[in-house]
Amino acid sequence: MTRRDMLSLCRNGFGGIALMGLMGTAPFGRMLGQLSSSSDSGPLLPQVPHRVPKARSVIFLYMDGGVSQVDSFDPKPRLTREHGQDPHDKFTVDATQFDDVGTIMQSPWDFRRYGESGIEVSDLFPHVGACADDLAIVRSMVADFPEHTNANYFLHTGVGIQGRPSMGAWVTYGLGSENQNLPGYVVLDGGLIPSGGLDNFNSGFLPASYQASIFRTGDQPLANIAPLEDSTDIQQHKMSLMRRADERLLGRMGHVEEVESTIANYELAFRMQASVPELTDFAGETEATKRLYGMDSSDPHTRSYGAQCLLARRLVERGVRFIELTCPRVDTPRWDQHANLKEGHERNARAVDQPIAGLLRDLKARGLLEETLVIWAGEFGRTPFAQGVDGRDHNPSAFSIWLAGAGIRGGTVYGATDEYGYRAVESITTIHDLHATMLYLLGMDHNQLTFRFSGRDIRLTDVKGDVIEAILT
Amino acid sequence: MQLPGPYVLCRIALLGAWVIVPAVFSACSAADATVDLPDRVDYNFHIRPILSNSCFVCHGPDSSTREADLRLDLRETATARREAGGRAIVPGRAGRSKVIRRVTAENADERMPPAETNHRLTAREIALISRWINQGAEYKPPWALIRPILASGKEGSIDHFVNEHLAANGIAAAPPAKKEALARRASFVLTGLPPSLPLLTGFVKDSSATAYEKLLDRLLTSPRFGERWSRHWMDLVRYAESKGHEFDFTIEGAWRYRDYLIRAFNADLPYDQFVIEHLAGDLLERPRLHPEEGYNESVIATSYLALGEGKHSPVDTRLDEADRIDNVIDVTSKTFQGLTVACARCHDHKFDPVPTSDYYALYGIFESMRFAYTPLLSSHQQAWLDSIRSARAMLRRSVGAKWKQSLGGGVAAAQTGLDSDKAAVVPVTHSASSVSRLGSLSRVDSTHNWRMIGDFRNGSYDGWIPHGPGFEPRSEQHFVVSSGGRIDSLAVGMASSRYLASGIPGALRSPTFTLDMDSIHVVAAGHGSVIRIIVDNFQLINPPIFQAIQEKVENSRLTTYRFGVNLWKGRKAYIELMVGSFKLQQHITDIHRILRDDSSYVEVAYALAFDGSAPELSGSPGTLNSTTQSIEQAVDAWVGGHASVPLLATINRALHSDVLPKLDIGPTLGLIKRHKAHIGDIPYIMAVTAGDAIESPIFIRGNHQTLGDQPIPHRFLSAVSDHAPPFSKSANGRLEMARAIVNPSNPLTARVMVNRLWHHVFGRGIVKTVDNFGAQGSLPTHPQLLDYLALRFVEQGWSIKAMLREMLLSETFRRSTQSSPQARERDPENLLLGHYPVRRLDAEAIRDAILAISGRLDTTMYGEAVPTHLTEFMNGPGRPEESGPLDGAGRRTVYLEVRRNFVSPMMLAFDRPIPFSTFGARNTTNVPAQSLTMLNDPFVAEQARVWADAVVTLHDLDIGGRIRYIYRKALSRSASPEDIADGLAFLETEARRRVLDSAAMLDDVDLWAAYCHVVFNHKEFLYLF
Repeated sequence: MTRRDMLSLCRNGFGGIALMGLMGTAPFGRMLGQLSSSSDSGPLLPQVPHRVPKARSVIFLYMDGGVSQVDSFDPKPRLTREHGQDPHDKFTVDATQFDDVGTIMQSPWDFRRYGESGIEVSDLFPHVGACADDLAIVRSMVADFPEHTNANYFLHTGVGIQGRPSMGAWVTYGLGSENQNLPGYVVLDGGLIPSGGLDNFNSGFLPASYQASIFRTGDQPLANIAPLEDSTDIQQHKMSLMRRADERLLGRMGHVEEVESTIANYELAFRMQASVPELTDFAGETEATKRLYGMDSSDPHTRSYGAQCLLARRLVERGVRFIELTCPRVDTPRWDQHANLKEGHERNARAVDQPIAGLLRDLKARGLLEETLVIWAGEFGRTPFAQGVDGRDHNPSAFSIWLAGAGIRGGTVYGATDEYGYRAVESITTIHDLHATMLYLLGMDHNQLTFRFSGRDIRLTDVKGDVIEAILT
Repeated sequence: MQLPGPYVLCRIALLGAWVIVPAVFSACSAADATVDLPDRVDYNFHIRPILSNSCFVCHGPDSSTREADLRLDLRETATARREAGGRAIVPGRAGRSKVIRRVTAENADERMPPAETNHRLTAREIALISRWINQGAEYKPPWALIRPILASGKEGSIDHFVNEHLAANGIAAAPPAKKEALARRASFVLTGLPPSLPLLTGFVKDSSATAYEKLLDRLLTSPRFGERWSRHWMDLVRYAESKGHEFDFTIEGAWRYRDYLIRAFNADLPYDQFVIEHLAGDLLERPRLHPEEGYNESVIATSYLALGEGKHSPVDTRLDEADRIDNVIDVTSKTFQGLTVACARCHDHKFDPVPTSDYYALYGIFESMRFAYTPLLSSHQQAWLDSIRSARAMLRRSVGAKWKQSLGGGVAAAQTGLDSDKAAVVPVTHSASSVSRLGSLSRVDSTHNWRMIGDFRNGSYDGWIPHGPGFEPRSEQHFVVSSGGRIDSLAVGMASSRYLASGIPGALRSPTFTLDMDSIHVVAAGHGSVIRIIVDNFQLINPPIFQAIQEKVENSRLTTYRFGVNLWKGRKAYIELMVGSFKLQQHITDIHRILRDDSSYVEVAYALAFDGSAPELSGSPGTLNSTTQSIEQAVDAWVGGHASVPLLATINRALHSDVLPKLDIGPTLGLIKRHKAHIGDIPYIMAVTAGDAIESPIFIRGNHQTLGDQPIPHRFLSAVSDHAPPFSKSANGRLEMARAIVNPSNPLTARVMVNRLWHHVFGRGIVKTVDNFGAQGSLPTHPQLLDYLALRFVEQGWSIKAMLREMLLSETFRRSTQSSPQARERDPENLLLGHYPVRRLDAEAIRDAILAISGRLDTTMYGEAVPTHLTEFMNGPGRPEESGPLDGAGRRTVYLEVRRNFVSPMMLAFDRPIPFSTFGARNTTNVPAQSLTMLNDPFVAEQARVWADAVVTLHDLDIGGRIRYIYRKALSRSASPEDIADGLAFLETEARRRVLDSAAMLDDVDLWAAYCHVVFNHKEFLYLF
């Protein structure tokens, strides 16, 4: 079977990929920088994965600033018992970003058990809590960096410094996209671009074809997507003049692959002008669906995040490969509560809780959840002791994330932290492990998804990463 | 480098590697693997690529991943007898070599590479290895490390080498390009702009033999040349004007480095000098000066070392420094040497002869340098400083003479035994007792647990390093302090930035020391200045943690500034006192820009470290009593510039008790003030300066917390400067490193640079991987040509312009882009350059050409960057308060601001690299954002309109004439009848839609803007042919 045959099989749908997996075909996908850096026609064409994929798309719900694990998904009764005591008497305290270590601080929220699994979730997330049986919660996450920007680059690119390809770029590089009229990697800008800026979403040394397209809410969701001309007729007329000139050029030059692919690219851009507005038009959505996402909420941030979540579902429906949602700009600094934990976390949670639960339910009802991997994660956690009197500082040594959907064993809790929730102690899980697991579910072997840069075959997972088997079905 | 005849390259599928097969083309997939095997198998060109891709990860230079204790990259180990018996390679006997047995084994457990790699050698690769072994298994150093030599008996010219390969492969070269196409090509290559109409017309009409040479000379001497080639260089040094990370702080004066580049390329600065200035421009005894301003030009080049990403508040400063230096090593080694030395941070390089010790030798060199806000003083400003200096000297002489006159020889010996209260040293008001320890300075006091870091009370800099004119090379602390125009006293007991005058920029930096105590005291005075503790060379000092180590000096009386340094105990640090300060109450991106005003100054008495409570520097002023010299002797010593502190105190006591007159020096002070007024503003750049030489141990597996035992002496890469002794222990290492790079015996420097030039001229380097000449890079398509060019480059005094001229004069460059079917079949990638390649214009060329064509281009050179135009899609912390203009004020792209976190979307879409590492070759991608930009972006639309505004004023031209004009302007060629017919039809249809009659058509800007916009979208505009 040639590569071309495999690709055509692949285009024929999911079944084709599964078949190839069953046939035990040699690993394929992108490897070792085989992509020619010039004239890569169709870089986003669907690629054959390494193995049978569980997930077709990823929705990454980025929780900007670092949600406190001990106030959300990792209950620690000992904090209540020892509230107000000096943490230095209890354990070794690492250097913190603000060097303002206060006393041990109990969670201001109660935890309750949800669903058949009985997983404990705090009252910050009542809606998400009600979906507990669909979630695999990893309580033993660690990050390499206590600073936002490095931790963000690390979470997004697997490397803590600027300029490396984002996971969304890696995924579209590896798998292409199933929709040639939309970008393969979309970031829905909810209002807050993370620390480190747009480089969290860039393609780094991968070709620019794989960089994220940033969608915003409003009239023009994607840069330059609205035609310049007042009428389609005029644009068509201009395009046809352009086409005639381009054809004459090709007639003079003979076969020039680069020019031909640029011509094809214009046609794609032209089609995108129609497909993007169709995508962002919610007229066809029922009121019940919009309510599910909290789009009728009295909180404007809930409404706007709800719209982003709904848009994410619509992108998944259209075969977009990787979608990241950034947080809405609530009236408090991200999830980054160095002070006023109670108020700040509550505002942030109110904005995202119902929309996220709505997204999970809607995906499930439409049969999309089983082929969509949903990841909920911030860049690190927070300290179990106070910063000052009522905040929490950054803590890279323990945080909680959850995954749901394709190939994920719902109702699972994986890993554990110490009794204070300060350090992960059991089944310690790294960002590389998360990336490896994500790629695995997409049908890719993280060891084989490589790109040659600077003389090395570089991976999203560097030289590390293990698939988190225990949370998989 | 001795190589057999011409080669042709052949790509191994999947692995991206290149092997060379000689002469006549052969299909890579030859059924018979032995068909077309080279007669003589070359290790570098045939064998190393196979071994490097398939074997070296486990059997190569890196010992940490070595398997079975087998090393195949060295002949000695590969041919040694194995413990288990047999030898991996038996020279001359492929059949007996275990390597061959293992790679051909049927049994998967036996076979190499191991089954889990899913990788097998091809039949051809095995055949090559077998033949090589049979021919004696001759190893060679990597090709790029063998010094270039001119192939014997070869006629030296580019065309000779290129044509030889074409002939060997039976490919006919394309005919010469048309003159118009050639002019457009040369103009874009050399200046990044389309040819102006006069230039184009002049060239087309000039039928003389030298017409083309004249064209090249016009382009090479155009100021636009430097703007174009600077931008190429900026891709190598990850040029940006902000630090990225969380708040995207502005880098002080970064744009001056861009201007430096433009001047350097335009002046054709010899490349060796250019390299030396980049690495050590601050260390040159005789730096180059800016041609008009006269400031130190050479030091600006070192800014490239400071242009990396910068973390805003690292919890671990040492890790931050390690990452910073890693980036500098990465960029420096790739840019100047085409080697990926940063691969050796954690382990020996897996493919190239770069051991980890090489990495840490360079690490120490870069750890020894300090970042420094560096003032650039023009020759004019320096002249005024010199005037102030002489006025000060004259003042001292005349005051001395008058004092001696007033003493008249009648005054007795020094007035010893004066009340010690009156001995207070002006303006040291905080403690008379501090003077007590002069003369017998103990630097450590075990009882009080404190340690002196710098003591300036005795008249020296105490080993601290002065920088900039504020701090004179030698401590000049005994200047006069006046009050109401009369001498009040002599300044004594401190180092000061205002010996000449206040407002003069400068810094005083301590030696590097280890933070081993809780606190640091610096006793200082001044105004608008700053004291910083620089830990691990970390510069971006901000709250929340780092405010503890930065204090603003804002008190004319000596004040004790206390720094709690507990958080950084064990780290290396130095103390910096700097004229000028940072203002936190402004837009976040600007808080690391230095502010200095006319009255800023700083002076310091001493600095010490201590634990617990601050030490009481107790004791009586005994040393003062020991002076037996007369006032007259004291005055003589002062005039001579060698007065000790006790002598100065003697003078001050005499002034205090009116033994010496408080002379009126108002006129001289007034003169100094007037001189100073001429100095005006002094710009700063972020550059580097020498610190103490630090040697770094190896970080085991790259971990900065696990250090090797031995510090690695400073030296250059062992593979390049083998057997050269390590650098001097006392020096900073950068200058020696620069010299090692430009040493004619360095096999890489010239090759790497001429290959970069070739890449930009022909769209692909002779070595395609322009930043990697190592084993994982590509092999040269024309090795002899590369050597010829490298030697020629050095021979012509490292002249970039001469080299480019030679390349553009070649027939190879002047060929058309038309390829024959035969050439396409035999050389589909045009590696042999049978025709000129078709290339998409790069991001800057597209934007600049649009401006040039519309007429909006403002050719103003140099200066502060035009702020980035911010769209609603560009958000995040550190977003500038205001957006720059949509059209970038009409300036060339090289003058538009490059903010790391707010990169222009148009540049990004058209593949300008993200500035984090060296990118000698850009990607060329095809993304919808490009087409959407050309179709719908307001910038393109606006320029189409600007152009249309000009077109409708061409009253002499009818519609057809205007179409011809538009074609010449945008595409540098005459419009064909079809082009004109199409244009007419379009314009007429659109005119009907807009209900315009034929007269109104000529004046309708919208109509013409629509047409111009389409021309910008012609692929012929976007591509270079």
